[in-house]
Amino acid sequence: MKKCDRCHRPATVHMTEISEGKAMELHLCDQCAAAAGYVQQAHIPVNEILNQLLQAKSRSGEAEPLRCPECGMSWREFKDTGLLGCAKDYEVFAAQLQGVIESTQQGATHHTGKPKGGRAEASSAVALRQTELNRLRKELSRAVQKECYEEAAKLRDQIKAMENAPEPSVGPGPQPTGAA
Amino acid sequence: MKLLDLIKQNGEWLAPGGPKSEVVISSRVRLARNLEGFAFMSKAGRAQRADLHRLCRQRLLALPAEQPLFYVDFEQTDDIDRQLLVERHLISKQHAAGEGSRGVAVSIDEAVSIMVNEEDHLRFQVLRSGLRLRECWQQAEALDHLAQEQFNYAYSERLGYLTACPTNVGTGLRVSVMLHLPALKLTGEIEKIVRAAKDTHLAIRGLFGEGTEAIGDFYQISNQTTLGRSEEEILGEFNDALTPGIIKAELAARAQLEQERPLALDDRIGRAIGVLRHARLLSTEETLYFLSHLRLGVAMGRITGLELETINRLFLQIQPAHLQRLLGRPLDGEARKAARAELVRQILAVKPP
Repeated sequence: MKKCDRCHRPATVHMTEISEGKAMELHLCDQCAAAAGYVQQAHIPVNEILNQLLQAKSRSGEAEPLRCPECGMSWREFKDTGLLGCAKDYEVFAAQLQGVIESTQQGATHHTGKPKGGRAEASSAVALRQTELNRLRKELSRAVQKECYEEAAKLRDQIKAMENAPEPSVGPGPQPTGAA
Repeated sequence: MKLLDLIKQNGEWLAPGGPKSEVVISSRVRLARNLEGFAFMSKAGRAQRADLHRLCRQRLLALPAEQPLFYVDFEQTDDIDRQLLVERHLISKQHAAGEGSRGVAVSIDEAVSIMVNEEDHLRFQVLRSGLRLRECWQQAEALDHLAQEQFNYAYSERLGYLTACPTNVGTGLRVSVMLHLPALKLTGEIEKIVRAAKDTHLAIRGLFGEGTEAIGDFYQISNQTTLGRSEEEILGEFNDALTPGIIKAELAARAQLEQERPLALDDRIGRAIGVLRHARLLSTEETLYFLSHLRLGVAMGRITGLELETINRLFLQIQPAHLQRLLGRPLDGEARKAARAELVRQILAVKPP
């Protein structure tokens, strides 16, 4: 049994005091608790203590957890299971999910694949162009490193030509972003 | 089509003659899709699950797919039948062990399977033997295209196809290959490959995917990133760069073994033949371990008179649910070991290598 923080009698009153957002635990015996004004009567109903604690908590800035209005999912629940409750969660938790998605998807933030209602072929022209550009850029930096300037100049021109060429047409899907 | 008929066939992914079949067992493409207006599975109540199941089943079976589909309703199957589907790689372990209304649509040749009410509402899978990711993708894409006339997919302009787990969001595309890498294991280089794969954001898993160990030198390698790259990019990198690289390393390790340690190599293979042809009790793991060495011997031409196809068939039939269905009765662990050893002896005794 814990001892009273102020004398050596067994503590019977256990409190968490929250001030300025910081929680402080207090363990007091009946007498010290009464002396400090924490208890007026021998026994405060438990639910009252709980309510006080909850009120203190919400006052200190810990708001009700955000929940999806459609499926009732909370962020905490998602963190426990790793699974979302419905498509709407992607909007409701957009801010929190951004970090999760970026870290699991190699920094990507936008879909560049098959658009809804379209065919994958439509976007693959964009993808192939992007892949080719990435390859050329890598080769360019390698050529520069190896001081093969003639080759580098050729590669640079190729890249410029590709960048200036009109975008291959894609359906209604989003355009690719810098995240490769 | 009955489930029982399946055990008599080899399954498309074990068909002989797939490209690079000396190293690549199978190629797989899967697409995760969800329906707008329905909660994902974690928040779907009983009634919604049942509605969704009914709707998906009806519409999938009505798809004008190349091959007719048959449907397996899990509420009307027992554990052994579901395990049978896992062993044939038609469903995930998680789907077999799940609860509530769910099932799978399977094409007659078993190349296509569509899980309903797994982690996502729909999971399209195309599985083929050897290195054939492009073929798998074309078929999956065509199926997805047919299906999107029947289903209104959950989709966002920014994030693409919305999935229950954000690790699948975007394309919802997971491509994987099942590789047999015994020589890299024997030379100890497999650790390097595993590390390199992890560095390039690939997942390496065992024979039955997520949460399973690599048994018998079989490794499943899959992409981890589904967003920010097109299907073509994901597929191209996998099919044209990564997998050929690993195949090359495995073949180089085999050549190295053949040149530098031929006796040790033949000893491995010989021991495998010895155990498989004479053992009276065999566990699944032990059998897979020795079958792996036997397969290596056949693939390298160090054993003659035995086909890869025969070994592939054994890989399937020695597994618990297949054994029990083949024998037509439930068997406990010890009885299965005896039945397994008997089956292996029979099949390998036909033509002594």
